[in-house]
Amino acid sequence: MHELSLAIEVIDLATREADKHKASTILEIEIEVGYLSGVEADIFLSALQLIVKETLLENTLIRLTQTPADGHCLGCHIHFEMKNRMDACPQCGSFPSEITGGQEFRLVAMEVE
Amino acid sequence: MCDTCGCGDDKFSVHFHNEPHEHNHDHDHDEHHHHHHHHEEEHSHTHKKVIDMNVDILSQNNLLAQRNRGYLEGRNVLCFNLVSSPGSGKTTILEKTIKLLLPTRQVFVIEGDQQTTRDAERVEKAGAPAIQVNTGTGCHLDAQMIQSAMRKMEVSSGSVLFIENVGNLVCPALFDLGEQKRVVVISVTEGDDKPLKYPYMFQSSQLCIINKIDLLPYVKFDVEKACGYARELNPNIEILLLSAENCEGMSQWIEWIQIQ
Repeated sequence: MHELSLAIEVIDLATREADKHKASTILEIEIEVGYLSGVEADIFLSALQLIVKETLLENTLIRLTQTPADGHCLGCHIHFEMKNRMDACPQCGSFPSEITGGQEFRLVAMEVE
Repeated sequence: MCDTCGCGDDKFSVHFHNEPHEHNHDHDHDEHHHHHHHHEEEHSHTHKKVIDMNVDILSQNNLLAQRNRGYLEGRNVLCFNLVSSPGSGKTTILEKTIKLLLPTRQVFVIEGDQQTTRDAERVEKAGAPAIQVNTGTGCHLDAQMIQSAMRKMEVSSGSVLFIENVGNLVCPALFDLGEQKRVVVISVTEGDDKPLKYPYMFQSSQLCIINKIDLLPYVKFDVEKACGYARELNPNIEILLLSAENCEGMSQWIEWIQIQ
């Protein structure tokens, strides 16, 4: 359940940034979870829901986008969408491929006032 | 409840695969209101601001990990993060390793477990100062815990520091601690398909130790298969076979440590 630590991290990051801007409320927060980031989006949201009480994120709208993963085939150099880390290249079947996207877990933006 | 994403009384929404889905909800939702609507109504006189952040949520951990790495490099300390499932033999490997390394190098250990100081006591008995970090309900060590432990321990220069992570092949994969190398340990009493089941850990490790090889005659573990899976996932991973019990392979492991 590393998602709980990550939820704590999100609250810390967002609160620090809101303080920097002297904001009293975080209205909305946008988070991007890559498909191969190792973070389970549903578990992360449940974890966040558990701990937002009495923080600046208590009444915040959480926008979570799950981004697809991108693989670069080391054999034929095409890019393809990866569903898991073991996917072979759909064109030439070679393996392993370089993961070039979908590993990110980012706080993209937030709206404050 | 919103039919598009299921959001309703709660304020959480999940969007998959970048499908644009705006939460304006201008249509009638008599039965419920989204929280942000309340805010707009209540604070319409105040100044709203969008802050672009684009920051890695693990950035704080990664930053602390880099500080740990710098601290250790500055003292010429070799640091290894040992990860595995519970019961793979990490602590026994450490006990034997400490005895073999001690004549030439000082050894320190940071032990991560949810509860008890049993492992720290075992490695201290073997001759290495140890600090036990109890994560409570936590399932992994993070860079902050390592920083605090190192503040208490005074790792001396030129020594070797082993971090024995919490027995778990999932969560510790995401958390850089500032180690020089990550070592994943599996034992032959586990399935030989372990690498396939926990790809993140095997892709993020530099060495894989297959332990308890003295038990190979009694179990169905296929060493070739396990090595093949690990290399498929991570072509650069090094693999060592050993038995901490009868010390087979221990000299190769010590040699590997010395050349890092």
